[in-house]
Amino acid sequence: MRYTPREAFFAFRRAPLLSALSIVTIAFALYTLAVFGLVWLNIERVLDDVAQRVEVIVFLEDGTDPAESATLMSELATYPEVDSIAYVSKDDALARARGDLSEYRELYEDLEVNPLPASIEIELKPDFRRSAQVNEVAARVERFPFVEEVKYGEEWVSKLNFLQDMSLFLGLVVGGIFAAVAFVAIGATINLVLIAREDEFAIMKMVGATPGFIAQPFILEGFVKGVIGAILALALLTATFSALEQRVLALGFYTPAQIVTGVALGGVLGAVGSILSLRRHLYGGTT
Amino acid sequence: MEERPSAGTVRVSGFSSDRIKRREIPYLRRRLGVVFQDFRLLKNRTARENVAFSMEVIGTPREQIGLAVPRTLAAVGLASKADHLPAELSGGEQQRVAIARALVNEPFVLLADEPTGNLDERVSKDILRVCKDINLRGMAVLFVTHNRTLLDDHVGARVIELDCGALVSDTGADDS
Repeated sequence: MRYTPREAFFAFRRAPLLSALSIVTIAFALYTLAVFGLVWLNIERVLDDVAQRVEVIVFLEDGTDPAESATLMSELATYPEVDSIAYVSKDDALARARGDLSEYRELYEDLEVNPLPASIEIELKPDFRRSAQVNEVAARVERFPFVEEVKYGEEWVSKLNFLQDMSLFLGLVVGGIFAAVAFVAIGATINLVLIAREDEFAIMKMVGATPGFIAQPFILEGFVKGVIGAILALALLTATFSALEQRVLALGFYTPAQIVTGVALGGVLGAVGSILSLRRHLYGGTT
Repeated sequence: MEERPSAGTVRVSGFSSDRIKRREIPYLRRRLGVVFQDFRLLKNRTARENVAFSMEVIGTPREQIGLAVPRTLAAVGLASKADHLPAELSGGEQQRVAIARALVNEPFVLLADEPTGNLDERVSKDILRVCKDINLRGMAVLFVTHNRTLLDDHVGARVIELDCGALVSDTGADDS
């Protein structure tokens, strides 16, 4: 075997417990990140779904002059975001309520006064259905004095947005803590190996091996540990996911490309852990 | 660098102590062959592996290692003991492995820092003879010793005597 791969596995034999700890902490770091990432991903899916159905409903004040509502409608038609507009009169609204809410039919049967307002239903073009854009349109419409209220499911969307931000934040924080522990474990393993093989490293420096060369096996080892940790995390995640999927339907999982990226991220994490602790040893002090 | 000069500059093989960068130091070390009193061999590797190690770790191609190692071991008279571990070799033989290791990367100078400090008189002379041979083949050898009598038989070499860092005597450069 060439020098680097042969030496890379020395630490596994020399410090099996610490090596295992490094792998497990990397696995936890990635697992945490992946779980919160999955939450993020699924909220994103819901948000997309909500966005597909988003509709802005403009409720008009009672007694609004039909000429005024006609003006509003013709103005709405000029908005670039607007796909279609429909006017729903008070009578239409009542008829619809009677049809849709059949359980409450009696409630609507003997009304002397129609309590439902007239409204304009605005459907937006697909590219303009994200919450910021919907907000924008709603704000513009709200400026008309005879508009009583504009509804577009904003509480929903902002709640989901908040949850999404929270899951990203938690994933990064908890994952980051595990990653820090992983770095410490990798560093401690490297220290043990450096002490065990002091003579060899002294000779390597003496005959002119570059720090990069000396570092290679350690970096490879860190990379391998990271990849093993990532695979472990993936197994754990798959198990969690299939357990969840039996209860909650139709959850989205990572794509193969995202999984490969995650495993590579594990390798990079391990290699970076090695490099961080090597910098002190290889570049500080002398033989 | 181990130490910086307190005054002046040290220039070796195109490197200068006031200009050398940290990352260049390995390349300076490759130009120097170094031998110590305590041999510094890897105990779990054979003579051959010890010599090959110093080529491997500077990235020498395998074929080149295969050629250079036996040739260098033969040059120090150890061809027959290539597969012995250091513990199976005498002190003089171990030091010859160390010399072979220092030579195998073809440095321009061999720095021998008290190479005979741990060896008896007869073996010390043996090591000195190996160094002399190397010198005769065209490589500069800087041989440091506390043992004056060791140098008595070696007329022709330049001898510089130091006492507590101060120059006591210098026979001058060899004309030959």
